[in-house]
Amino acid sequence: MTTAKGKAKSTPISHAIFGAPPAPGEEQVERYSRPVRILHWVNAVAWIVLFITGFFFFVPQFGAAAAGGVSGLLHRIAAVLMVGWAVLYFFGSPKAALRGIGEAFKWGAGDIKWLKAAPAYYMLGEEEKMPPQDHMNTGQKLWWLFVIGAGSLMIITGALMWFFKGIISADAFMWSAFLHDVGFIALLSFALVHVYLSVFHPKMRGVFWAMWRGTVSARYAESHHKKWYDKIKKS
Amino acid sequence: MAGKAILYDATKCTACRACQVACKQWNELTAEVTTNRGTYENPPDLSWDTWIKMEFREVGNNGNFRWLFTRRSCMHCTDAACVTVCPTKALYYHEMGFVAYDKDKCSGCGYCVEACPFDVPRSSSGAITGIRTINKCTLCQDRVTNELEPACVKTCPTGALMYGDRAALLAEGKERVASLGGSATLYGENQLGGLHVLYVLDDTPAVYGLPVDPQVPVSATAWQDILQPVGWGVAGLAAMGLGLNYVIAKRKIKIESEGK
Repeated sequence: MTTAKGKAKSTPISHAIFGAPPAPGEEQVERYSRPVRILHWVNAVAWIVLFITGFFFFVPQFGAAAAGGVSGLLHRIAAVLMVGWAVLYFFGSPKAALRGIGEAFKWGAGDIKWLKAAPAYYMLGEEEKMPPQDHMNTGQKLWWLFVIGAGSLMIITGALMWFFKGIISADAFMWSAFLHDVGFIALLSFALVHVYLSVFHPKMRGVFWAMWRGTVSARYAESHHKKWYDKIKKS
Repeated sequence: MAGKAILYDATKCTACRACQVACKQWNELTAEVTTNRGTYENPPDLSWDTWIKMEFREVGNNGNFRWLFTRRSCMHCTDAACVTVCPTKALYYHEMGFVAYDKDKCSGCGYCVEACPFDVPRSSSGAITGIRTINKCTLCQDRVTNELEPACVKTCPTGALMYGDRAALLAEGKERVASLGGSATLYGENQLGGLHVLYVLDDTPAVYGLPVDPQVPVSATAWQDILQPVGWGVAGLAAMGLGLNYVIAKRKIKIESEGK
């Protein structure tokens, strides 16, 4: 309504950062339910806090930021938020949660093909050899498996250091800290990949909005998740 | 290994515990309410408020009885596990040789409490926030940097505690051990790169409850010595890989759209 005459409507800054969402007229299909999206973004916020406060702790040059213990306290609040929300989600809809977790473990021949074809796709944009994918593609399954595995490692070692200090042996405590750091390095690296692929990769621009709005265009669903698209088309 | 040190001569100690009192007084540490446990040894353990404590040992020896005393406090190691693990460098090596502690930098992680091979640092948690602070002997940093001896040494009535140049105290201790003869031992010369608290013992360290071969645990050094560089490497490679991917993919996709 306020668009100036004769001028193209300026793109909002969010489109500039996260890529343009599907055009309003396009047919949409639901990809992520509202509870899943809330879970994702609560996790995202918790992870960012955990990464930053953990980083202060991990790198001596930033140690001054951890002085006084406030960053440690924030680290624990974020950890409780992360674990607590996941537990709430699980008991809120156990069926959906189990189905979601199960997706990480459903592997087939299509996944091997995907792994072979993926480098050419992500580097050169060659789509021809990419096999049809279900709701989650192989890369997403890998990331999801990794989140489940490394996340459990972080929760277990973190809980050991928080609640079992003085109960477990000094060596067990220090090795927990060591493994917590290993998990930190691995999670941070993979999180960089995750953010890159969902926000910055030239082929993927705009997929960010799937996790924000919950929908993708039918065109995208068909080209990237053919098996899944066919299933929802039927039902 | 240079610098100042304390020499504790167990054979001159009467376990009067004046050092414990002087330490509390100078460092303004509150006394603890304890119960009688049937021993003069009190309080039962080092704590946030107790940085030095005399241990009493009753040792049988061929039908004879020996009452041995050990000084328990920070050993001010040259290679200190607590300094190694401290993420914020609140614990650091003072140029005078002792392990100093900057309370304002402490994050309260308590890694030092776990890593110390002598089980010395103690932590205390805030009731609501759970934020911990650490305490331990500072070798009376505020005194020794002003050319005063530590409070425990100052007050020792028998001369069992001495303060001075480590090299001189080492010589003194060796002489003393030689004159004691038998299995008398000088403890602290080489342990952990050399302790800045030396012990003249009338027997082997084990009899006095001291660790024979204290070590900085591997778990304490691994994360800073190995994981730090690995972490930078892996995260750097990931970022570089993504950057490379972006450049290649961007160029390739541009060409495609131009070709259309």
